Amino acid sequence: MGKWRILAVVLLLFLLTGCAGTAPEPDYAPEDEERLVLYTSHKKEVWWPIVKEFETRTGVWVEVVEGGTNELLERLDKEQDAPQADVMFGGGVESLESYRDLFAPYTCAEADAILPQYRAQDDIWTPFSSLPVVFVYNPKLVRAGEITTWRDLLDPTWKGKIAFADPSVSGSSYTALVTMLCAVEGEADDILRAFAENLDGKQLESSGAVLSYVAGGQAVVGVTLEETASRRIAAGDELAMVYPADGTSCVPDGCAILNGAPHADNARAFVDFTVSRDVQQLIQEQFCRRSVRSDLEPAGELPSFGRIAQVDYDVSLASESRESVLMSWAFYQETEETP
Amino acid sequence: MKQLRFSSFRQRLNAAFLAVSLVPVLLCSALLLQIFRLRMTADQQQNAEQQLDGACHALFSMQEGLQEAAITIGGSETVLGALSGGWENSASVYSALYDATEDVRRFARFELYDAEGTLMYATQTVHGAQTLPVSWGILKEAADRDTIVYSASIDPTDLDAPVLRGAVRLTRDGQTAGFLVAAFYETQLRAMFDSLAGAQNEILLMDGFWRGVYCSQQAQVQTLSYALRGQLLHGKALTGLSDNFVYTARQDEATGLFLVLQQPQVFTRGTLRLLYTVSALCALGGVAVSIALSLRLSRQMFQPIGTLHRAITQVGKNDLEVQVPVQEGQCDELGELAQQFNGMVLSLRRNQQALLENQQALNDAQIRMMQAQLNPHFLCNTLDTMKWISKINQVPQVALMSTNLADILRFCISPDEFVELRQELAILGRYVEIQRIRLSDSFTFAQDVPEGLLSCLVPKMMLQPLAENAILHGLSGVQDGRLTVTARESDGVLEICVLDNGCGFPAEMLGPYQAPEQQTGHLGLFNVDTILRKHYGESFGLRLGNRKDGAGACITARLPMRRRDADAAGAGC
Repeated sequence: MGKWRILAVVLLLFLLTGCAGTAPEPDYAPEDEERLVLYTSHKKEVWWPIVKEFETRTGVWVEVVEGGTNELLERLDKEQDAPQADVMFGGGVESLESYRDLFAPYTCAEADAILPQYRAQDDIWTPFSSLPVVFVYNPKLVRAGEITTWRDLLDPTWKGKIAFADPSVSGSSYTALVTMLCAVEGEADDILRAFAENLDGKQLESSGAVLSYVAGGQAVVGVTLEETASRRIAAGDELAMVYPADGTSCVPDGCAILNGAPHADNARAFVDFTVSRDVQQLIQEQFCRRSVRSDLEPAGELPSFGRIAQVDYDVSLASESRESVLMSWAFYQETEETP
Repeated sequence: MKQLRFSSFRQRLNAAFLAVSLVPVLLCSALLLQIFRLRMTADQQQNAEQQLDGACHALFSMQEGLQEAAITIGGSETVLGALSGGWENSASVYSALYDATEDVRRFARFELYDAEGTLMYATQTVHGAQTLPVSWGILKEAADRDTIVYSASIDPTDLDAPVLRGAVRLTRDGQTAGFLVAAFYETQLRAMFDSLAGAQNEILLMDGFWRGVYCSQQAQVQTLSYALRGQLLHGKALTGLSDNFVYTARQDEATGLFLVLQQPQVFTRGTLRLLYTVSALCALGGVAVSIALSLRLSRQMFQPIGTLHRAITQVGKNDLEVQVPVQEGQCDELGELAQQFNGMVLSLRRNQQALLENQQALNDAQIRMMQAQLNPHFLCNTLDTMKWISKINQVPQVALMSTNLADILRFCISPDEFVELRQELAILGRYVEIQRIRLSDSFTFAQDVPEGLLSCLVPKMMLQPLAENAILHGLSGVQDGRLTVTARESDGVLEICVLDNGCGFPAEMLGPYQAPEQQTGHLGLFNVDTILRKHYGESFGLRLGNRKDGAGACITARLPMRRRDADAAGAGC
């Protein structure tokens, strides 16, 4: 047995010398209570200043995971049993609504300052910015006042000249479609068929392409979000924006706290921060977004909230009837393509 | 443990050789590798600490300068007055600004903002935005903290904007009068850090939340800081980020900024693989040498042992002729062992020889004893006397018998051990004559011996017991008995047969003569057989048989053909 004891001592020495090789590094990693994990579908230019300011003000380290809205929501759905994320930041509230089981209701600190129209019934999500649906047109091809209502889009004059993104791909395009159904009087199926016919089989792959099509003259009018349109206009594109006179929807995007979030306190602080006056002002001034707060008037040339005609848009209903509307839409697209 | 026990000593020897060659090599190379690695790592760490010390020192002196400038400007009524909205001579404000920032202007551009965040004065032209928000970002932080605060640029790759800003609030009567902002550009930070890191090292400057500010390799500032932040947040070692680099982090106490030094890994996988390969090759070489040596040594050792082993087995089988070859000049233990073994076998052989000779002598003595069972001279003289008395008294049968008996006795006591067959037959004739008188001529005697065989030598008195046996047992009670002696030679063996026409031997006695279990008076055949076997060897002796041409027994004595010496034989002719 003596032999084995010597061997063991030698091995032990090896281990000891091996361990001594790595001097302990000072640990700069933040404590668990100083962390927040954020899943966001916003672009970096949007989330980055907000996250940076949040870090500076609270001392909380934010770990950001970027991705598309649906991608992140599906991921959250998979992680349901052991949530990695604390907050889902971004995505239309309709999308958040359809995954409502994932989220925990939270009434943010400044809930009273938020326009009641934007708030979820049970505060399952908290709105971030209001995104009215607008028309953009190419002022070289269309005179002002020629297109002002949703009904105008059904006018055969514009057949094949309307830029509209595929609503099954683009969430904002689906919102626009439902807004149209709310605004135009008549049977939903008739409206869908008439609009599908007027598109003449042209559906764009993404909502971003709508503006390029209109600015490039490939289409004379397009349907998009106020935020997207005003940014392009601010960037110098020759486009004009009009709010539908027969009413538009102002569906916000939002953020929500995960059920069983590992850092729930920080998550709540972050949600409070997103609707704080500072952030809301920033998104109005920097990102051409419309605030959800009642005490902030839109910056620049955007009309104030009261001057926009609105339809009665039901987020939960839109979320629930998504499949049936898209089915009918796809059906009319098909019949249009095979005359 | 059981698997490690080798049944053969040779295997144990080989295993020991292997262990002795392999273990030190492996142990040595592992230790060397470990020590080398530790040493290199320690050197590298020391190097990193020195460089980081340098960088921290640079940041510290910058911070000092900034603080001094802030104090100077904060105490300048000219500046504070101008920022608070009072009309001042802008030249005197600039002059105060330049004076205060003289020592640190090489690091940054200095800007003065009023309490609303509007840029009022700057040491260099400012392109782009002329305001900073006071409710957001660095000015808010500066207003909240009342120390110099630092903020990284939103996009550190945008070289037109400052990558880092440092700001401090200026107060007048407890109210915010404005802000002094130092805007650091990438080129200025490069000038500050460039000479501090070694040629192959990179230095990375990050803010308090590990967002990249500056990297000596500008393109990496964002990716590297993002990756390092990920490692930090996931609780992994920074060095685990890449196989090729070692990272050392340090927080600068003065500014709260983080510095990370990236050094190339001394022990890359390639180097380690090379070192392991060299160690493995060394070990292989050691194994090869040890195998060769152990094979050679064990062959030297076990070949003689094997030879000895085989020789001992031979001796065990009673072969004493065996000898182990001893190589010339082999004077080691094995050589000695072989020589001793040879000596032992030799003395064993000698002992056996002596034993054999003793036995022979004993046998001879016994034969002589048997031959001397009668005291012949006395009997001879008595018989001669009897012969003359019977002749005087005219009893011819007694005279004949005593003559014959005397001849037989004389023949018996003659010193010769071996006699010619001729003589033997003559004496047998005398004996038969006596018996015929005794038994009233109840049988006849004939001999049929070729002339050439009469000169053969046979043991003296060999035939008499055979004839006696035939007369007393074979012919007893037989009318007209016939006793015949024949001789013939085959393959150098002389066969002498004594035939009778009596009842013959019982079947169980046929074949080579077998000594009866108890010696009961009938010693004649036993003695003859013993004499023949002792003289000539075990293959000779008596054979009992029955005649094939009729009734009667046939005793055959087998013995080798021998004659007198050559000259005696020649004289005979």
